[in-house]
Amino acid sequence: MSSVLFLNLAWQISTLALVALGLAIVFGKLRIMNMAHGEFVMIGAYAPVITSSLGLSGWWQLPVCLLSVGLVAFVLERAIIRHLYGRMFDSLLATWGIAILLRETVELIFGRGYQSVSPPIGGTLRLFGADYPAYRIAVIVGIVLGFAALYWWSTRSRVAVRIKAMVGNPELAEAVGIDTARLSAGAFVFGCCTAGLAGLVLAPTIRIEPMMGLDYLIRSFFALVVGGLGSLEGLGIGAGIIAGTQSVLGAVANQTYGYLAVLTLSILFLWVKPDGIRSSSR
Amino acid sequence: MASVLLPVSLLLAALLLIPELFGDFTAYQIGLYLIYGIAAQGIGFLWGKTGVLPLGQALFFGFAAYVTAITLRAETGLITELALAVAVLVAIAVFACALAALIFRGRNDSGPYFSLITLALVMIAEQIAGTATTLTGGFNGLSGFDSLGKLDPFAGFYYVIVGVTVAVSLLLFVLNRLPVNLIARAVADNEPRLQLLGFPTHIIKGAAFAFSAVIAALAGGLFASHQGIVTPTSMGFGLSAELVILTAVGGRYHVLGPLIGAVLVGWASAELRDSFPYWELLMAVAFILVVLKAPGGIAELLEAGYRRVRATKPGAPSKVIAAPPTKAVDAAGPLRFDDVHLQIGVVRILNGVSFQTPATGIVSIIGPNGAGKTSTLNTITGNLRITGGRITFGRRKIDSRPPYKALHSGIGRKLQVPSVFFSMSVSENLAIAMMANRSRLLDLLRPSTYRWRSRSLSDLLDHPSVPLKEELVEPVDHLPQGHRQFLEYAMTIAAEPQVLLLDEPCAGLSPDETALMTDLVRHYQAETGGLVIVIEHDMSIVEAISDKVLVMHLGQVLAFDTFEQVRRNPEVQAVYAGGTK
Repeated sequence: MSSVLFLNLAWQISTLALVALGLAIVFGKLRIMNMAHGEFVMIGAYAPVITSSLGLSGWWQLPVCLLSVGLVAFVLERAIIRHLYGRMFDSLLATWGIAILLRETVELIFGRGYQSVSPPIGGTLRLFGADYPAYRIAVIVGIVLGFAALYWWSTRSRVAVRIKAMVGNPELAEAVGIDTARLSAGAFVFGCCTAGLAGLVLAPTIRIEPMMGLDYLIRSFFALVVGGLGSLEGLGIGAGIIAGTQSVLGAVANQTYGYLAVLTLSILFLWVKPDGIRSSSR
Repeated sequence: MASVLLPVSLLLAALLLIPELFGDFTAYQIGLYLIYGIAAQGIGFLWGKTGVLPLGQALFFGFAAYVTAITLRAETGLITELALAVAVLVAIAVFACALAALIFRGRNDSGPYFSLITLALVMIAEQIAGTATTLTGGFNGLSGFDSLGKLDPFAGFYYVIVGVTVAVSLLLFVLNRLPVNLIARAVADNEPRLQLLGFPTHIIKGAAFAFSAVIAALAGGLFASHQGIVTPTSMGFGLSAELVILTAVGGRYHVLGPLIGAVLVGWASAELRDSFPYWELLMAVAFILVVLKAPGGIAELLEAGYRRVRATKPGAPSKVIAAPPTKAVDAAGPLRFDDVHLQIGVVRILNGVSFQTPATGIVSIIGPNGAGKTSTLNTITGNLRITGGRITFGRRKIDSRPPYKALHSGIGRKLQVPSVFFSMSVSENLAIAMMANRSRLLDLLRPSTYRWRSRSLSDLLDHPSVPLKEELVEPVDHLPQGHRQFLEYAMTIAAEPQVLLLDEPCAGLSPDETALMTDLVRHYQAETGGLVIVIEHDMSIVEAISDKVLVMHLGQVLAFDTFEQVRRNPEVQAVYAGGTK
């Protein structure tokens, strides 16, 4: 029993970390408060719905997901977001509008009702003396490996430094040879694609509907408030605290108490520790 | 007063004509749009003035609606109902104020954080409303009650709505003419400056949010009575989002903007929603366009058209009245640094700074770029928290208190790049500065406070060489750099601080203006007998004004002596000749 609880916790934390990664990049690095972040998760989750309605095989899910999310993100970045770098509050307003636009568009195409898809990997695995869905274990392992690779890459790559230079002073960054338009578009699209990927892996375990994104936006935001902006460790700690609190309280009391607890926690953090637990500017 | 009474009476007349011209059913529909419009007016006040955007306003709307529904079902009688309404409004105001003040306490830029917290709040509220079935009736909601005072929602109750609409609009128009309006706008314009003038900006934002929450709750109470049913959607995310859209499209900077937005969008939505499937998309696109291209919304377009027909002439400057004395601060004496350390991340900025200024006089701080001069001033005002050591003024410890308390402990500050309220006129800037350290809460609700002028500020403005007097009605962003320096200097000394901190006051000034500025500084020091600390690079100015010179290098004090002694100091010579680095 307790090992199921433990595995559920690992599932919740790892998926929240993946969901919040894109917001951490777009909000933490580019300083764009992306209110449409959850909508990219939502679009990603619709990818298996698209492939099954077109009769494509399961292998098409990933390319369809990345292509649709990436395309939407790219068009929005070129049309709207690129005017908003350095104007955080305006970015919040515009992406708020974008979020409504995306929700309504998806609702027009797929309808308001719930959709569900089955996991590409069926069956269960016996782990720590408990039967647990093999799909979830594969996802947890995949996310852990992905984050390890990202961490390894980020300690070597200079992209993060360039992004920081670009956000701090765009003119100077261009003067020293950074292609800011390409870099910012790339970072934005990458961030949105990780959100879409999160939606894709979550899709078989949730009810897919146009309004589902909001909850992911809020929880990602909470994870960043608690963990602090700007570092992968902070993101991991924040996701751990938020998903941990929510699923433990959700298990012993109910979902509403879990939600109330993380909300209170976030307000307390904004008050007492406004920069979160790990506020590195790296 | 005409500018208040004219639009309000026009509004009243128009709303009273609606049932006569279009019948009771249209009036019923318009009544609902007006209810949303009232809530949106509260958002407009908060967002348009202080720049803070609440994304969960339906929390208060829905809460009041539920309380109203529960009370009306219990049929306790009108007196109890109204008493309960007052209690609920007070509770909402306290909650909203505390919430915003908590979130805004630690930072100046938490706009996005606040918006997301309000969004999270409304989502949890909708969830609770849907699950607490015994209290709220769950998803079916509460129904089966008469409206307030048993009025018919299709007839008499419309006039209650009109009454509240007009009353709220009147209140907002009146507030626009009072000094609180200036303070609220100053929050959005330049929050750090307002803090250095002694205003606790997180409390101001909290109060503004509380005000908007109370207006939303008023609208929610009307809604329950008007619709006869309250469901979780009245407290939900969707309504919150819609209220923000109504505010944005109608125009958040104008009192009537959100009302116009609510009625127009509500009417168009009722006409089009069923026949035109892309209606919701259209609204989202309209919102994005307004945000990016026309932040003033419909109201601003209307007003621009009206201005073309009837241009407003700037009113004659009103007669000034003597400002009350500044609040007494029982602080005097030397400013003392004991082994002060300041570290941000891995960067060590101050490494054990120790000195003690004389109790009066002019002290100059010099040193190469990056020596920690401006950071030293920032630790005195509390803009930077020191990581070690102690700063005292007289007998009082002054480090690690927030910047808005600096002025109350007797410390005024002029920043390096002129920091004034750029969206306002010169006289509005000066009016805010006159309120600093003088106004009590009630003074902010009296129009006469605008006309306060202290003798020292009058003297400064009457000085024949000071350029500000001819520019009182000019917006600040039209002023040249030098004039902004004088304006910020005037604003800083208006509160008559015992310790005046000036960060490169002569930067960007012509030789004549530089001479004038140094004269003014010397005059202020002589007049008040206080302490002035100046950061300055120009050695001729330093030599001319300084009683003592503090030389900083690499976050430490290199020398602290008279100008002559400092000039002879071989270590100082070495630093300035580039000998050691």
